[in-house]
Amino acid sequence: MFNSKSHFFKEFEMKSRPASKTNARQSGRKFAVFVINASLIVAAALPYSHAGGISDKPWSEKAITDHVQQSRLTGILTTQELNLLAAKGKKLFDAKFTVLDGAGRPLATHAIIPTKRKRPIQKAFNRISGPDANSCASCHNQPVTGGAGDFNLNVFSSEGFTGQGSDSTDPQFSNERNTNHIFGAGLIELLAREMTAELQELRRKVLIDTRNSGQSQTVRLITKGVDFGNLTASADGLVDLSEIQGIDTDLVIRPFSQKGVITSLRQFTINALNQHHGMQAMERFGQRWTAEADFDGDGLPNEVTAGDISALVAWQATLAPPVVFKPEKQNWQQASAKGMKLFGKLECTNCHLPSLPLDSLKFADPGPLDAAGTLRQSDSSTQAIYDLAKTEWAASLPRNADGQVVVPLFGDLKRHVMSDGEVNKLGNELLSQRFVARNEFITAELWGIASTMPYGHRGDMTTLDEVITAHGGEARLSRDRYVTLSEQDRLDIIAYLKTMVIKQ
Amino acid sequence: MSIFKLQYMAASRNFLPRKNRKMIPDIVSMVIGAGLIITVCSTSRANENMTNPNFSDIPQMQEQSDKAGISHVYDGPWEFFVGGGASAMDCNGDRRPDLAMAGGTNPLQLFVNKSSTGGVLSFEARKLEIDAEDLLNVLGIYALDIDNDDHTDLVLLRLGRNIILKGGPDCAFTRANELFAIEGGNAWTTSFAATFEKQVKFPTLAFGNYVDRDAPGSPWGTCHDNVLLRPGKAEAPDYSSPTSLTPGYCTLSMLFTDWNKSGTPSLRVSNDRQYYRGGEEQLWHINKHQPPRLYSREDGWQHLTIWGMGIAEADIDGDGFPEYALTSMGDTKLQSLDPQANGLPVYTDIAWERGATAHRPYTGTDLNPSTGWHSQFEDFNNDGILDLFIAKGNVEKMPDFANFDPDNMMLGQPTGKFVEVGEQSGIALATKGRGAVITDFNMDGMLDLVVVNRSGPASVFRNVGARNEENTDKSKSMGNWLQIELQQDGPNRDAVGALISIKSGNNDRSRRINIGGGHASGSLGFVHVGLGVAERAMIRIKWPDGSWSSTYRVFANQFVVIKRDDVVPRYWFPQ
Repeated sequence: MFNSKSHFFKEFEMKSRPASKTNARQSGRKFAVFVINASLIVAAALPYSHAGGISDKPWSEKAITDHVQQSRLTGILTTQELNLLAAKGKKLFDAKFTVLDGAGRPLATHAIIPTKRKRPIQKAFNRISGPDANSCASCHNQPVTGGAGDFNLNVFSSEGFTGQGSDSTDPQFSNERNTNHIFGAGLIELLAREMTAELQELRRKVLIDTRNSGQSQTVRLITKGVDFGNLTASADGLVDLSEIQGIDTDLVIRPFSQKGVITSLRQFTINALNQHHGMQAMERFGQRWTAEADFDGDGLPNEVTAGDISALVAWQATLAPPVVFKPEKQNWQQASAKGMKLFGKLECTNCHLPSLPLDSLKFADPGPLDAAGTLRQSDSSTQAIYDLAKTEWAASLPRNADGQVVVPLFGDLKRHVMSDGEVNKLGNELLSQRFVARNEFITAELWGIASTMPYGHRGDMTTLDEVITAHGGEARLSRDRYVTLSEQDRLDIIAYLKTMVIKQ
Repeated sequence: MSIFKLQYMAASRNFLPRKNRKMIPDIVSMVIGAGLIITVCSTSRANENMTNPNFSDIPQMQEQSDKAGISHVYDGPWEFFVGGGASAMDCNGDRRPDLAMAGGTNPLQLFVNKSSTGGVLSFEARKLEIDAEDLLNVLGIYALDIDNDDHTDLVLLRLGRNIILKGGPDCAFTRANELFAIEGGNAWTTSFAATFEKQVKFPTLAFGNYVDRDAPGSPWGTCHDNVLLRPGKAEAPDYSSPTSLTPGYCTLSMLFTDWNKSGTPSLRVSNDRQYYRGGEEQLWHINKHQPPRLYSREDGWQHLTIWGMGIAEADIDGDGFPEYALTSMGDTKLQSLDPQANGLPVYTDIAWERGATAHRPYTGTDLNPSTGWHSQFEDFNNDGILDLFIAKGNVEKMPDFANFDPDNMMLGQPTGKFVEVGEQSGIALATKGRGAVITDFNMDGMLDLVVVNRSGPASVFRNVGARNEENTDKSKSMGNWLQIELQQDGPNRDAVGALISIKSGNNDRSRRINIGGGHASGSLGFVHVGLGVAERAMIRIKWPDGSWSSTYRVFANQFVVIKRDDVVPRYWFPQ
């Protein structure tokens, strides 16, 4: 519950708090003056509209007091506009949705394709098929909002995720997943977009070449140094997909979820709002695709606007990436430095690439890769650009000789088989998900890993040593090298990983 | 009593609960119907089904025949009041649909597709090296690969001898009547269908004929018999032993259809009551090694007389049994197999309850009943629900029927109903529609439309996407889609008769590869499926021999090519 003006004031004050207390007070006052002025200037043009006549009362039990108007989000947002939008997103992320907002979905399943229940739900909450949370932040909260979740905050990706079987409450029909953190998620999505564009360009070029030459040709699908296998094109325009690796057949890198099956923050947000809260986004569950304004049958139509989703995306996309910090203690510094070398020597960095280069920090929303059901660029006459260069943290990211931003994600945005006949703890799921085999997962980005225990897809490993030892399949060789190291060497690697934190 | 009223009496039965309908004799129903005529014609209920949905994507169909380079008129004397077909097929191996159009007394024309991907429609007329006489008096065109050489052949339905054009490289066609031993007859042929009977190398062909003009008393009650051509056992197609399908009732559409999921299609025949006497709609048993046999009353076949013009088939309710849209004068029939039919071909007309009667013009001031011709189920807005297109147009100058009679685009809704959007979509032109082709000419995932019009230029509509209320100058993308091509070695390369099952989430959709139906128009090529908001789908194929494929996992918005026994499907990318 918040009054919009005071909310934005407080929000900016919090976000801009500097390290020094004196400076903080001065800065805070200056910033407050700025925000007041900005609010006065911007308030009239704010892309928000009230959600109802009684929502602005302090005692209102509605969490959403106003909706963001998507049509007002256009062009490259100024720093103030972006911050205001992200602040709105933060509020939505923190909001504990109530039935007055539309929480709950008595007549709809958690399926990503709008699907009616066979019968009305008997209980408002359900740990398996959801709704299973009041707010986004109730799971994404360690070490701070936007972070990961403890084991008790695991979620379930169940068999019925795309269909109606989700009426089952039996956990044997589901995969249990630990909550990921989303810091740096904007950079991850930008990387995925650029890599997808490059892969699809490779495909386009080889098709042109084969058509011109009349001969089949094979292209190695390598982007930003990550190898996604081979694609063979024939002169008639057919493409053989049997040798691609770790990516979907449409060559779209879907960087989100432990499985690597979600295209964008926008798509993930829409899915999660429905699954976990029964809050249905109009752009997926609204009249355009379901012919109903209240598809979930809770009596509240048009629960989440496209603008609301944009606000949530803006906040997530602008979250600062985790950092590798320099320990104060010298022995930690030394161990960490040694561990870093060992990490490379063991070839852990084959998948956990320390960084990937990014050409542009301009985050288009809606993005270029989403399909119908998630707002697309072609759906809207306006498009907003969130320039991540305008964030406080952007300047801290190094750039390479080509001027590209170096994103220190410790990942490759590629899926790998993570278990084998002998080492199979990471193949602990019962069901494949979205065409991806049960023991195949996208490389977990290690940035922030020191702040996000427990580990593993199910969150059932309490130490880094456990989860490293659990690597099988394509990671088996590196894992075997690790387990044969001396204890000290292993601890050095842990010391290195423990420097990768989410800044608080 | 006018034809118009009779039509509405038939429609009015559907006001009644289904279980009661059969209990009421037709005459009672007629009385009830008569009482309701005024209601039907004037109340909002009739218009309810014609209301613009303010939520579904309405495809914007831009007429671009000039830009597309298509100048074509179907015309001629009364023999060409019917017919006016077209066919889309790939005649040069680039997988883009090319276009052949019947001209009546004007020559048949072939247009090679030169459209850029996602761009304006563009065609190049291609001169056929065929005796000019053979290209005249053509009423209809159907495409199929008769001799399994991977080149699509064309069957030309003519006033006089039917012609088979054998396809070759780069849209080179040669007359193949002699090669295939198809005499071609001398009738007034107006309909066609083909199927591959099990373990037979070449297709079985059915030709539907219209009025026998030489018979005494013609045209009334003088319908010509239809003909079934089964291939011989030679290594090459040999159709030298035709079988008569007697009686013929002036057939304007026919379709091989596996109506009961038996695996053996029957031949459904839609007939024009305008000329027959004592006739009706027909269904033929076509069992291998047996002569054709009509379904009789004992078989459960029910008497139905309509001005049958075109058959469209689709399983719109997902029960595995196809529904049929039968165009006529006045109301369109939408037949669904009665769940209590117990294996018999007993159908219930659900057109009224589904809002699909399309019985009169949905716009303008002409309230006379419509005349429907080509019908086809497709998903124009990619919302995952089949829509129904009907070409409309007065026969010539029939005063009791609408003169301004625009084509229908009825969008399927999640409720199961259809809603008319012909006017909003841009296809409500003052033309006399006959045959039609619905396919994606510019390979952008959205279905385009060509309508052959009698005595007027053909309409070429490019589907540019959904109406954008925020910016009417710019259309929006619609739902996700797939286009699927099947291949198999040996006979029946294009898998005619195959059932394609497409599953996404809880939604099961199906498409059948058919040669036949519609009005004088039959196409061959990618099968289009709208997926709505699904970004993935699983495809299974029931091949024509009845065996099921494994499951193929594909992503949306792709052209998918599945060759029988492929482990992984291939994607195709247009140039």
